[in-house]
Amino acid sequence: MSDWSKIPGYVSTTEAYGETTVVVERDRVSDACAHARDELGFNVLIDVVATDYLHWGGQGVSGYIGTAGGRDLNLPMTQGLQALPNVKPARFSLSYHLLALRQGAPRLRLQCWLEDGDPVESIVPVWPAADWLEREQYDLMGIRFTGHPNLARLLMEDDWEGHPLRKDYPIGGEPVRFSPAE
Amino acid sequence: MSDEPTRLRDYGLQSERLLWPTKGPSRFEEELGVEELEQALGITTLEKAVRWAQTKSMWPDTFGLACCAIEMMSIVGSRYDLARFGMEAFRSSPRQADLLIVSGRVAHKMAKPLRQIYDQMLEPKWVIAMGACASSGGMFNNYAILQGVDRIVPVDIYVPFCPPRPEALMEGIIRLHEAHMAGIPPAYERKQVAT
Amino acid sequence: MSTTLQHVGRARRWPIVGDPIYEGSRIPSRVPTVMDVPAALRETDDILQVNFGPNHPSTHGVLRLIVDLDGEDVVGLSAVIGYLHTGFEKNMEQKTWWKAITYPERIDYVGYQNNELVFVLAIEKLLELEVPEKATWTRMLLCELNRIHSHLVFLGTSALELGAISMFWYCFRERETILDLFELVAGQRMHTRYFQAGGIAEDIPGGFFPEARKFVERMPVALEEYLTLLDRNQIWLERTQGIGQLSAADAVALAQSGPVLRASGVDWDLRRDAPYLAYDQVDFRVPVYTGGDVYDRYRVRMDEMAESTKIARQCIDRLERMEGEPWIADDRKVVLPPREELHTSMESLIHHFKIVTEGYRVPAGEVYVAIESPRGESGCYVVSDGGPKPWRVHFRAPSFAALQATATCSKGALIADLIAIVGSLDAVMGDTDR
Repeated sequence: MSDWSKIPGYVSTTEAYGETTVVVERDRVSDACAHARDELGFNVLIDVVATDYLHWGGQGVSGYIGTAGGRDLNLPMTQGLQALPNVKPARFSLSYHLLALRQGAPRLRLQCWLEDGDPVESIVPVWPAADWLEREQYDLMGIRFTGHPNLARLLMEDDWEGHPLRKDYPIGGEPVRFSPAE
Repeated sequence: MSDEPTRLRDYGLQSERLLWPTKGPSRFEEELGVEELEQALGITTLEKAVRWAQTKSMWPDTFGLACCAIEMMSIVGSRYDLARFGMEAFRSSPRQADLLIVSGRVAHKMAKPLRQIYDQMLEPKWVIAMGACASSGGMFNNYAILQGVDRIVPVDIYVPFCPPRPEALMEGIIRLHEAHMAGIPPAYERKQVAT
Repeated sequence: MSTTLQHVGRARRWPIVGDPIYEGSRIPSRVPTVMDVPAALRETDDILQVNFGPNHPSTHGVLRLIVDLDGEDVVGLSAVIGYLHTGFEKNMEQKTWWKAITYPERIDYVGYQNNELVFVLAIEKLLELEVPEKATWTRMLLCELNRIHSHLVFLGTSALELGAISMFWYCFRERETILDLFELVAGQRMHTRYFQAGGIAEDIPGGFFPEARKFVERMPVALEEYLTLLDRNQIWLERTQGIGQLSAADAVALAQSGPVLRASGVDWDLRRDAPYLAYDQVDFRVPVYTGGDVYDRYRVRMDEMAESTKIARQCIDRLERMEGEPWIADDRKVVLPPREELHTSMESLIHHFKIVTEGYRVPAGEVYVAIESPRGESGCYVVSDGGPKPWRVHFRAPSFAALQATATCSKGALIADLIAIVGSLDAVMGDTDR
């Protein structure tokens, strides 16, 4: 189970909070998913999530001062620029959450990084469940999936312009007094 | 009360009693035991009677959108019984409905069907904006939610809270009934917007 | 499109999805969520396209189905969603972590506390915060009561749509009792906002346990009533048995979970297989049926109600012995200090001030937490940049996946069966559209 390097397009592995994240190359994602389903036994596609990291790390955040074993309550938390979050390889990350229906419920997150406008191969041939999941990410984040049998807007109206969940898309709504400018 | 017309002749109505002033009380009146029959009956105008009938059977349209719809379903339940107001018949067709209870957040995609449903209803019609999302957009001040349903339909009653308790919705409905009985016209006649 | 998948022999594996559709599957077309009208039929001009518009009398909210009918047979189907898209995920990015907890409840508005739980669990996972036992058991109790609530709403409304109208009032009578319990504990019937990062907002008030016990004693009797009303009703049986079948392989391929998956014969329940909260310390059974039709999904949910009552009883037993224990974690960087301390301790005042104004900070990272909500696997993917606001929150909605299976289940159905099928998938549109 720890032989992640056999996944086609493998780049790196991260283990954090009990979860495994395997980064693969963007153009081998479909093969990686098929490999995960057939060889590694992750037979359920739980979710397809895209995250927009525009302006990530633009302002430093102060983290907890402490060790990985725990935080020390006696040390005060400062407001200075303690730590900047890690620089991300590209603007968008596309995560495929997979689940194996066997004992222990092992989960895997296959992740690929892409810039605005980069196409990703659709995994509808691998899992039919990816149909609406990819449409939703196209609709809200603007990620183009090549080979998707029906890539159209799902949640927004058909003639909506823009991709709402991107960081450069405004929150919308109406201006309300006394709230931060939105 | 004294200046209100209570006699039939004040309405300009002719009855045999007027044509025959010397006629005594009839058998029916003797049995009732009242001197003037008019005081034993309810005399009202036609408008008031019609309004009373409209209030007692104001059928809502099934327009449940989100969480408030669940609370709207629970007033049809046996604890908060809506049938005592004659309103348990939720009509599926807007052509047969009088009341549109907009229960839930209205997305921009849903705004067009909402207006279509409202247009399909026949006059007189009322709208209750149930919950914070229908009244003003609620906690969702964003690109997707219509900030208050009164931007596209004229609203009579706003029921706040998220979601309103069934008793709160009932209070709104009862106030609507009282307003209508008192002669306040429905919102599309009063408001200059969204008609 | 890569179709050259290498099939290596394995002893037991799921059927491979390829193009054309693999053998034995009822997935109707290359687009899994759309059933296309066969070309021959389309040319005969006999097809009537009906719009089950966003506003229709079945109480599933704003789902739009575009149905092609040949007489009464459904030969084409496509679902249009998005009429309740609220932009939860973007809204939550604007709020601090504490304020953002208010939002997830409105997503699945029938099983509301499960959504809240999954988001709070994700925050706690990132914070690596330890939650006291009393809070864990209370959360479990409320989530199980919420499961019963959700299944009661499902049963009442599904039976209502199929014509068994009186079931609605029976189910909602029990539902009112559950909502009374929620009001006792949290102050509000729906959308209780009772869970906090670190535990629960306030202690369980006195007088709750006798009321909860009364409900737990009453529930099996009520379930008997429902079974009497429905299970021996010939009309109900004929309208639900054999309708809307979904095979186990299709269910897995379409990412089904929860009662839909268990009714198709796959023995999978996150409470037992990937226990969260304290589910490994309670005793319950997972009902699995193999028919995959509407009747089996109904049976799974009925049995789940009985099992949830059992779990609730065990939670009440355990909680009664925890009188006086802390109900929220002690980490002052995240949890508000008790109000009495604010008068005497300067640090508490500062902590209170920082948490209320700026909000607590959650370390940078990404997590995915999944629980077994009444509809299936409900998950929350959270990315934090270490600041006081979430960077990205995404909810995995079980109803979203369930609606994708509509076309597969409706193959060969009549239009009246379509109502039964959509009802049995138990999709909540707030959950689907988010």
